Amino acid sequence: MAKEILRMENITKIYDNGFVANKDVTFWLHEGEILALAGENGAGKTTLMKVLFGLEKPQTGRVLLNGEDANIKNTLDAIGKGIGMVHQHFMQVPSLTVAENVLLGIEPMKNGLFDFDKAVEMTREVSEKYNFHVDPLARICDLSVGQKQKVEIMKVLIKGAKIIIMDEPTAVLTPQETDELFEQLLRLRDDGHSFIFISHKLEEVKRICSRITVLRRGHCLGSYDLSDMSEADISRLMVGRDVVLQFEKEDPTPGDPIVKVRDLVKINADGKRVLDGLSFNIRAGEVIGIAGVEGNGQSELSDVLSGMDGFASGTVELNGQSIEGKSVFEIRQQGMSLIPEDRMIHGAAGDMSICDNIISDRYFKPGYKKGMFINKKYIENIADEYIKEYQIACDNKKQAVRYLSGGNIQKVVVAREFTTGGNFIIANQPTRGIDVGAAELIRKAIVRKSREEGTATLLISADLNEVLGCSDKLFVMRKGKIVAVFPKASEVSEAELGEYMLGLKTMTEKEMEGLL
Amino acid sequence: MNRTSKVEFTVELVRIVTAVAIAYAVALITLFVISDDPVYIIQQFVLGPFSSPRRIGSIINLAIPFTFTGLCMCFMYAVNKFNLSGEGIFMISGCVISMVALKLGNSLPAPIAIAVLFVVGAGVGAIISGIPAIMEAKFKANIVVASLMLNNILVFLAIYLLKYKMRDNTIGFLGSLPLPEVIKFPAVFGKMRVQAGIFVAVIAVILVALLFYKMVFGYKMRVVGNNPQFAKASGINMMGTIIGAQLVGGAIAGMGGTVEILGNYDRFQWTASTQHGFDGLMVAVLARKNPLLVPVAALLLAYIRIGADVVNSKGDIPIEFITIIQGIVILMVAADEFMGGFKKKLIYKAAAEELAAKEKAAQKTA
Repeated sequence: MAKEILRMENITKIYDNGFVANKDVTFWLHEGEILALAGENGAGKTTLMKVLFGLEKPQTGRVLLNGEDANIKNTLDAIGKGIGMVHQHFMQVPSLTVAENVLLGIEPMKNGLFDFDKAVEMTREVSEKYNFHVDPLARICDLSVGQKQKVEIMKVLIKGAKIIIMDEPTAVLTPQETDELFEQLLRLRDDGHSFIFISHKLEEVKRICSRITVLRRGHCLGSYDLSDMSEADISRLMVGRDVVLQFEKEDPTPGDPIVKVRDLVKINADGKRVLDGLSFNIRAGEVIGIAGVEGNGQSELSDVLSGMDGFASGTVELNGQSIEGKSVFEIRQQGMSLIPEDRMIHGAAGDMSICDNIISDRYFKPGYKKGMFINKKYIENIADEYIKEYQIACDNKKQAVRYLSGGNIQKVVVAREFTTGGNFIIANQPTRGIDVGAAELIRKAIVRKSREEGTATLLISADLNEVLGCSDKLFVMRKGKIVAVFPKASEVSEAELGEYMLGLKTMTEKEMEGLL
Repeated sequence: MNRTSKVEFTVELVRIVTAVAIAYAVALITLFVISDDPVYIIQQFVLGPFSSPRRIGSIINLAIPFTFTGLCMCFMYAVNKFNLSGEGIFMISGCVISMVALKLGNSLPAPIAIAVLFVVGAGVGAIISGIPAIMEAKFKANIVVASLMLNNILVFLAIYLLKYKMRDNTIGFLGSLPLPEVIKFPAVFGKMRVQAGIFVAVIAVILVALLFYKMVFGYKMRVVGNNPQFAKASGINMMGTIIGAQLVGGAIAGMGGTVEILGNYDRFQWTASTQHGFDGLMVAVLARKNPLLVPVAALLLAYIRIGADVVNSKGDIPIEFITIIQGIVILMVAADEFMGGFKKKLIYKAAAEELAAKEKAAQKTA
């Protein structure tokens, strides 16, 4: 048995809002192994790693490195003790070169000045040693996501990390980039590095990890040898019940086009064409999924269709009327509802009650107000209804939404947006970062609404399972263009989708003709 | 999680009381150090304001303008805009309504004349607070800088109007011609001699509270103030709401200036900024931006001020040190994290207890 390099013992972490993120969690890591840390969103994985990396102070518990109490005071201390963290969101300066980013904080100096040549040399050394193939002189902003992640790993390695935390490293990668990352991780492992690999993609965990530690709602359920476990076993452990990975739904019966987009172009502040000549229809009763690596125009499309941002040229019609130059209010009146990408920024007011949050789009409608006054009684009844229907876990309808869990806040958002009375829903990452139970409820609600009420739905999601499972028709977006169309989302494989997302394949206009 | 919200509320209360208590303690200690007869002075400072009906009346009278400007700042806070023009508005409204009152003379019956003056005062306030509001919304001017500069302009504009448009040359100081008798508010509550403007202040507090918590406009204001991005995505007219809130706030400050003149003065005679606008900022912070708490905070501030006045007239203590005490109160109340550690401990404890209770319940069912 290899030596135990790290042990976290009885870690309990309670956040300032009273949320118990970790309760008596104990796990350990051997030298030269890749340990999976699994659990639903909100299970406490990220918090546990923040404690290890010195970003959060636990209320109880201790961290042992090589059998000795490490007493990690802060991030610098953690790095000094050989712990590195590759964050889910890259911590990089886009306008600087790879070498400058890699050596940020530990810059080589010559005569009191930054020694750029030395930095390049050091970066090249690491890059060659571990086969990263990244040009030290390239600027970060010119790199692909996969390459940026390599830079992130190099940053950690050059600081001498032996224990490397990877927080959902594959979330932003295409399947092909993921394969490459895994090869590198295995090589680094054989070189004596140890990894804590956070992921909820079970097949990835099975592929490269030897053991798994499972968290559920802040508690540690134990650590298991992966050779004894199937994917179904793990998922049962994680959620405490069998997850329906396959999604049953009726075939759509599409009606007339609700949304017509023609030659839509949007140019951002840097002069880049972030939406580059999009044309498509969304018909009543149909869910259109948009897959793509993040940052290929999906958010911009959502912004344009919802009126949050304007566009340069082309036409967008909603229910027969153009939306050009109209405010969010006017477009909502025309039938649009929006589940925004980030619920705490665009979806809810944290300090306000559930009641207040569900009327933000309709407070002016008859019934919701009496003269100049808010009709409190009516709104409270409606809030009670939504809480029941969407199973929103809360103390009462007057509770400020920031006291709710992420999944329940999202349910408040969904409850509002599904009851606006509109016939076009933009669901932008509707289940990001929420627990499986809530996600399932929301996905079912999206499909049910399209089937029962004939709603036209645009589903933008980075979760491939979600777009494949919920969508009827599926588009792949890359560099602001639609590069592939699949009339039946259920018949597409993730591998095939990955090839289009990455740009290995592109459908010709002829292939897509008639499908848009 | 309900425990967390309870804890937050409790700590908030304890925090404000503690802040006031600490400031008071500092004041008392200072008095001990610098006074020759500290016991007498402290007695005067603490109890002096209550020693006669007239003094109690003075507290209330002083709290009235604080209430108006405090309400004004509540609106600015609600939409997260530090429009500080309340200071200048208070003065210029007082000036303009004095001019109008002089023009009107005794020609109109009292209720109508007073109504006209309130409309003018509120209108002046709304228009003026709209200047920095619109400069910010349309031209991205920094609202703090714009409103502070504007205050300067307003103060000197008021002095100019006083000197050249309504000065009474027959008196030995700079003051306007005497205001007509019909518009003057009577004093009420017998010996306390509280100015009748108190009724206007009470009505204003009630109306503002209704506007904040029961009316559609107040709802929009709270959404915009709490999360402007969310307001935008929901289709709420942000710019309209933000500017609207500031206009209403300005109107209330204008009414404050009007009440002050009608209730307390025979002539318009302000030759320097009254500071009531900035005091309103302090009141709004003390009241935690809640209009219903504004009168309480206003009374507290007025009590400290009157205490200082009493000490100033009776003993050997300069009035300046009261300003220092106010500063301490504000610093502590405004510092959100003061006692934050205490709050966290309580929250951790509550969360741990809740968890234990849940586990117990789970064991029982199992």
